[in-house]
Amino acid sequence: MVVAAPSVLHLLRRATYGPTEESIAQATRLGARAWLERQLAPSGIVDRTTQTLVEQRFPRIGWSIPKVRQYYLSDPGTWAVMYDLGRATVARAIWSERQLHEVMTEFWSNHLNVTSPSSDVWDNRAHYDTVLRTHALGRFDDLLVAATQHPAMQRYLDNASSEASHPNENHGRELLELHTVGIAAGYSETDVKNSARILTGLGVDDDTGLGTFRSDRHFVGPVTVLGFEHPNGTAKGGRSVAADYLRWLARHPATAASIARKLALRFVSDDPSPALVSRLAATYRQHGTAISPVLRQLFTSREFAASAGAKVKRPYEDVVATVRTLGLRPDPKGTKGIEALHWMLSDLGHAPMAWAPPNGYPDIAPAWRSAAGSLARWNAHLNIAARWWPQTLTGPRLTSLVPKPGPATHAGLLDALSRQLIHQTLPAAQKRAICGFLSEPGDVVQPSTPLRADSPAVGRRLPYVVALILDSPLNAVR
Amino acid sequence: MNCCPESRGLARRSLLKGLAAGVGLAVVDGPVPGTRYAFGASSPYVGDTLVVLSLRGGFDGLNAIVPVGDPAYLAARPSIGLPERVLIPAGGIFGLHPALAPLKPFWDDGTFGAVHAVGQVNPTRSHFQAMTELERAAPGSSVRTGWLDRTLGLRAPGSVFQGAQVGSTETPLSLSGPAPELTLHTLKDFDVNGAWDATERARWTTALRALHADAPEVIAGPARAALGAVTTAAAITAQTDPAANGAQYPDSTLGAALRDVARLMKQGVGLQVACVDDGDWDMHAGVGAPDDGWMHDNLTDLAQALAAFATDLGSLLGGVTLVTLSEFGRRVGENASGGVDHGHGNAVLLLGGGVAGGKVHGRWPGLDDAHLVDGDLAGTTDHRALLAEILAVRCGQSDVTQIFPGLGPTKPLGIVRHRP
Repeated sequence: MVVAAPSVLHLLRRATYGPTEESIAQATRLGARAWLERQLAPSGIVDRTTQTLVEQRFPRIGWSIPKVRQYYLSDPGTWAVMYDLGRATVARAIWSERQLHEVMTEFWSNHLNVTSPSSDVWDNRAHYDTVLRTHALGRFDDLLVAATQHPAMQRYLDNASSEASHPNENHGRELLELHTVGIAAGYSETDVKNSARILTGLGVDDDTGLGTFRSDRHFVGPVTVLGFEHPNGTAKGGRSVAADYLRWLARHPATAASIARKLALRFVSDDPSPALVSRLAATYRQHGTAISPVLRQLFTSREFAASAGAKVKRPYEDVVATVRTLGLRPDPKGTKGIEALHWMLSDLGHAPMAWAPPNGYPDIAPAWRSAAGSLARWNAHLNIAARWWPQTLTGPRLTSLVPKPGPATHAGLLDALSRQLIHQTLPAAQKRAICGFLSEPGDVVQPSTPLRADSPAVGRRLPYVVALILDSPLNAVR
Repeated sequence: MNCCPESRGLARRSLLKGLAAGVGLAVVDGPVPGTRYAFGASSPYVGDTLVVLSLRGGFDGLNAIVPVGDPAYLAARPSIGLPERVLIPAGGIFGLHPALAPLKPFWDDGTFGAVHAVGQVNPTRSHFQAMTELERAAPGSSVRTGWLDRTLGLRAPGSVFQGAQVGSTETPLSLSGPAPELTLHTLKDFDVNGAWDATERARWTTALRALHADAPEVIAGPARAALGAVTTAAAITAQTDPAANGAQYPDSTLGAALRDVARLMKQGVGLQVACVDDGDWDMHAGVGAPDDGWMHDNLTDLAQALAAFATDLGSLLGGVTLVTLSEFGRRVGENASGGVDHGHGNAVLLLGGGVAGGKVHGRWPGLDDAHLVDGDLAGTTDHRALLAEILAVRCGQSDVTQIFPGLGPTKPLGIVRHRP
């Protein structure tokens, strides 16, 4: 086992879905800086195993929208492809080598949320995901144009049914409030109306399911939104007015600030300093809305370095990190184990893309404080570690975590296990808590109690000991 | 059941998954204009336990609280309409579906009633949007929390059971927001996984409590609450045969959930708001006959569960108001599949000691073409007005401006009586 530097662990806890033995070894070998550069250029990372897994076990998520519609001609509206997408996303989060790309795809799928599964996007949600993936480490203006015009977003925020005479304001408003400048930018209701008018004409072709522009639905006439002005003189020109508007919004200082802050919330702390946010926003603008330079600056900032443990893990990060640290691998065939993890995440209220309102899952600790959530988290640790559910994932047995020869005492065992599982040792009080769990009337176990080959801690109670280490509050943060 | 793509998901409650905010998930998402509420009033809550029963999928209020005296009703539903002779008379033009018979005693004694033609201000026929808007209950605003969360947010902090979703671990949007809530599938399985008996449970709860002793409050607080709730739930479920007064709950998800709500109430654990889901109301095809089929079976389960709940609670029913909500009603005219498509105006059922029951409240708009909206029953009562009245009269919350932003003054409906 490689002993990881704290800075390497910190980076892996934030820029990936949790450290693994392999990722620690790799980041240690390359150094944090080079490891980050590699992650920022995901196409250069060979990820064949996970790509093959997804292609073979979830082939439908790679289909074009017309192909999905054609295949389900007799079963339109099926949720099958959306479920596959959710499951494949969990698999990629656990096993992809392109970890930062996965993390950023998740980031954008919350920022530009299109709830999945939900009824209106059954045919196009998986394709929408490919758009988010394409631009996840690219430029935000490209991403915004592609996502806004995509049939999934068009349906989700109702612009698909908007018309010049009665513009549906839903998309026009959320574009300002959630996707770009934010409510603090101080736009007016007239701005919202004009935002909606600019988007009229964009929509979905009901025959193919593809995105389209219908000039007969486009509002014609001068439009202004905040500082954006356009004569918008022809119906035919509507599409390019919309694209100009979107690119203008993407570059707006308020958009830069809101995306910078959101990235800092994701990767640094629940309360990032205004100074950091403004530096990140400046970088975003200097680089034409490119995301990688912002991330590079963020991960190498002093504030990032000082923020270890400042983020509370949400259920998704917790479950995925648990599977990763236990070194579990996919089912030998089929998807049963992956499906079980996805159901577990649904029960925890954090299945990928399932957040219903358009603002995406919240990303601050108070939003996730919950009694039932704590209980569910403990139960998830035990279920996964003991292989009660899912049962079909493969990988090392828990006994392989126990050093050979065995540690002399229970404290030694707990130290060895927690170093491997959570990359730190537990404070004495927590070791005593777990030893208390192992005690029987008349047979008190203490950290100093010698460990024997037949001690329950390395036998029938080993899964519980592993679960309790994962339950430690030290492992509740990242 | 291919008529509606969404219905498949609904039957499996996956739409709910889509909607769900998660396990006891409290959402804090920056400043919300118009809803900067004072968190936690100082005095303890005095008022009814409010039970919100969500009939997911679009409840057909027209075939439950049947406007049989409206001549357009049977004309619009020649094969699935219920004739007057099979109905339980409910006053005026209305009759109750015969499957609601278990609730007749409560109708007669005035603890069960209904409001008809309830709707939303911006109707939509999308399950997803209609449910979101119903539970957000803040149309035309940027508020992203649920109305029950805002309701609880105005009260003094209570026990871990103050606001609970029972029967499912998924927080409905109505409870989503900064006020904490508990979600539990059943009281019995609200437990630590490895706790197969009381000794093992004590082993786990002791260890987990000690493990979190020095943790930051954001982690330790919910952990303590969880362990307390596990202990309470175990104590409640250790008692056998908790249903009182000979109450017979149906062997159904709904029956189990309402039984758990009643258990929590009888134990006095501080339950103020309980949410329960009942799915599978999306009847695009094969509604069935008055005495058989989908609607009959669903209403039978609903009526038996509600009747058992009221019976079980006995005198405690005096401090309970239960209200049913559904994202929309169904189209007035039946379709070619013997079903009804998504509509708008709907019936709301009310059960509780303070309910002005035994009658159908609300203004009936009529079912003739001139009064339909796009083929739907018009909504003449804004669902927020109905809820505001319950909150004001039964739950001590007369000022609802922070719960229902933008809801102007409303005319009293007279659906509930003041608490003694």
